[in-house]
Amino acid sequence: MKELNKNNPFKTPEGYFENFTDGLLDKLSEEKLNLPKDDGFAVPEDYFDGLHKNIQQRLDADETKVVQLHPYRKYYLAAASIAAIVLLFFGFNWNTPKELTFDDIASADIESYFESNELGLTTYEIAEVLPVDELEINEILENQFDEENVIDYLNENVDDIEDLNLEDYE
Amino acid sequence: MIAEADLVDQLKDPNAQSKAFEVLVNTYKQKLYWHIRRIVLNHDDTDDVLQNTFIKVYRNIGGFKGESKLYSWMYRIATNEALSFLKSKSKKQGISNEELQNQMLSNLQADVYFEGDEIQLKLQKAIATLPEKQKLIFNMKYFQELKYEEISDILETSVGGLKASYHLAAKKIEAYLKDN
Repeated sequence: MKELNKNNPFKTPEGYFENFTDGLLDKLSEEKLNLPKDDGFAVPEDYFDGLHKNIQQRLDADETKVVQLHPYRKYYLAAASIAAIVLLFFGFNWNTPKELTFDDIASADIESYFESNELGLTTYEIAEVLPVDELEINEILENQFDEENVIDYLNENVDDIEDLNLEDYE
Repeated sequence: MIAEADLVDQLKDPNAQSKAFEVLVNTYKQKLYWHIRRIVLNHDDTDDVLQNTFIKVYRNIGGFKGESKLYSWMYRIATNEALSFLKSKSKKQGISNEELQNQMLSNLQADVYFEGDEIQLKLQKAIATLPEKQKLIFNMKYFQELKYEEISDILETSVGGLKASYHLAAKKIEAYLKDN
């Protein structure tokens, strides 16, 4: 029997496969939709005519704003919020339960404060106003964590502990 | 029409800034308005977001390096402003994004600046069911008729990805309208 020619005799136009995906996507995205083109939204009469004037007024008003008497107030507020978060994080205990505790400050409020205020603080500025001494932060940093506790913590809080590629370097 | 690069130069020049800003607002106000309006749906909210967008553009034009086109940079700011606006609105009211969308749609029925009929209202409901990015892509392509290349510059997504997302969005909308 004559040996069959294994070579594929069929050919495709040059660049056919390279352009196939693009062509298919073009076809799909150009399908006509049976939907209204007008979405029904309207604007008040003359709205666009007065827009530039309104924006300019806002810009002018911002530029002529009186300079704040206590420009550092927002830094203190920021520092207070940061201190609150740090204290919450480290589980600071109050000895006077009748007074307001940091637990009373909803984390959402703190979060929304940071979101709605442009603090513009650098880490150095935060460090300058944050009363680190009072936090006795060294006590926390100097404490040695038990390896078992660390592994337990990671096990509970990390989705896939294997991804961390933990290795024993000892 | 003034070339984009010249307009940027003038916006950075304190002597020409004011006039150039007026040109900028007048050139882009309608395009950006409709882009924002289709995200936040309500006119008053759109007006707030649009003004904030132009103010941000004015204040940050000094840092605009021209790596992208001015219009795509402005569209990006408008998109971020509109999405952040919705996010903070749902947070303030203590409701989820989905609940806010439903609230926006029910308000639309009583909105004096919405003149849509039943089909147009249903279309907005269908669009509201889309994931955020598909919603943006669908609105930009179908209603604003932006080119895929332009949308790609604005959303920093590949043209192929945009075409696929648009197709998916359109299919979902058609299915929603068929079932409801």
